[in-house]
Amino acid sequence: MKKRILCFLLSAITLCSLLTGCQPRLKKFSAYEFGLFDTIGAITGYEESEEEFNKVKTEIFNILREYHQLFDIYAVYPEKTNLCTINNVKNGEVATTVDKKIVDMLSFSKDAYTLTNGRVNVCMGSVLSIWHDYREEGSDEPWNAKLPPMDDLVKANEHTSIENLVIDKENLTVKITDPNCRLDVGAIAKGYAVERVAEYLESIGKTNYLLNIGGNVRAIGTKGDGTPWLAGLEDPSGEKDFLDILELKDLSLVTSGSYQRYYYVDGKTYHHIIDKDTLMPSTGLTAVSVLTKDSGLGDALSTSLFCMSVEDGLALVESLEGVEARWLTESGETFYSTGFSQYIVKE
Amino acid sequence: MEKNNAPTVFGGRKLKNDLIFIIALIVILVCVGLGVYFFRKPGDTVKVLVDGKLYGTYSLKEEREVEIKIGDNLNILVIKDGTVDMINASCRDGICVKHRPISKNGETITCLPNKVSVVVEKTSEKGDVDTTV
Repeated sequence: MKKRILCFLLSAITLCSLLTGCQPRLKKFSAYEFGLFDTIGAITGYEESEEEFNKVKTEIFNILREYHQLFDIYAVYPEKTNLCTINNVKNGEVATTVDKKIVDMLSFSKDAYTLTNGRVNVCMGSVLSIWHDYREEGSDEPWNAKLPPMDDLVKANEHTSIENLVIDKENLTVKITDPNCRLDVGAIAKGYAVERVAEYLESIGKTNYLLNIGGNVRAIGTKGDGTPWLAGLEDPSGEKDFLDILELKDLSLVTSGSYQRYYYVDGKTYHHIIDKDTLMPSTGLTAVSVLTKDSGLGDALSTSLFCMSVEDGLALVESLEGVEARWLTESGETFYSTGFSQYIVKE
Repeated sequence: MEKNNAPTVFGGRKLKNDLIFIIALIVILVCVGLGVYFFRKPGDTVKVLVDGKLYGTYSLKEEREVEIKIGDNLNILVIKDGTVDMINASCRDGICVKHRPISKNGETITCLPNKVSVVVEKTSEKGDVDTTV
């Protein structure tokens, strides 16, 4: 009889553990925050406890907020020297002492300038701010929306040389030698900041996080069950659920698209990615998605590829290691770099 | 044949014990099942966030209209047939209204001027994406 009770207990225990064993040890959590880099930030992560996730997410948002404020070109913050402060210095002789984070990001931007043959140019602020103002006004009063006069753009373009930006890495100062030159880091700052968050998460040993900061996606490790994170590429035409679903593991995905930010003038849309050669929104492409580990590089590349022909862009991507890209043209054609397909989820 | 008698008598007791054993197992199974049922994760939901803070959580299954009114800002959502669509907004660019209806896990509609975002959260299924760009 004792044997029987023992047998019964053992069976019951086995049965219970089998049933409850289906529940994963790690739980999935999500958090959102608005306003960082003027967009929405989403964090998804697997943790054993909500407490731990909340701790991590608070720190992530704190890091992003710090970078957002330092890289903000539209507003100043109390007791903080940021890019807006630098832009407001109207004397080409004056060097401003800044946080090392600004020096590092601007140095990274100069490298990106070289890599992209000048298509990512943080000194293009004078031109981009004109577009920014017309876009804002045109969105506020759609009946009054106008395009910037080409004369103004051409004049502003005389003050966009990257040589205007002088960085002193040792003394942590920044100087803009042309008083009419303005910094605009819209093509790079968000991705750069996301990458710094990824570094932080890696440094504290996190392996199950996914960040999506206004379209800059960065996977740190995998999902809780060890499978890759899945990211869907939106179809701008709305015909398909997704253009592609991509598997991400320790990888960034950045998309530049003409449908992300735009305004209407006389019924025609004008998006926010300005071609340095025409000083107008670039034409020919609807979206470019870049896969690479460094989110800052991905951000810079997606913007530059958006202003290049598919042919030239493909040549650039193929020349870089660990970078893949996907193009969607205005006529609806799709192009891939050679290694892109290995990340696509096959149905 | 003679030998069969004893096991039959003994087998009667064995049968009774086995019956108790099986019934007890079934009772436990039902209890565990009920527990799993009551503590299961909530179903597919639509989360509405205003300035990053949770404004409301709605079932993706129930048909309804949601008005998001903060000060002078207004956004109107419709949840129908498992999809969410922004049908009206007081914002200046209207990009959120132009956005197609969403239904997949991780999909979002964002209204930047009004700081409203709508996120679909589903209990994970195979093939569901974790985020969209």
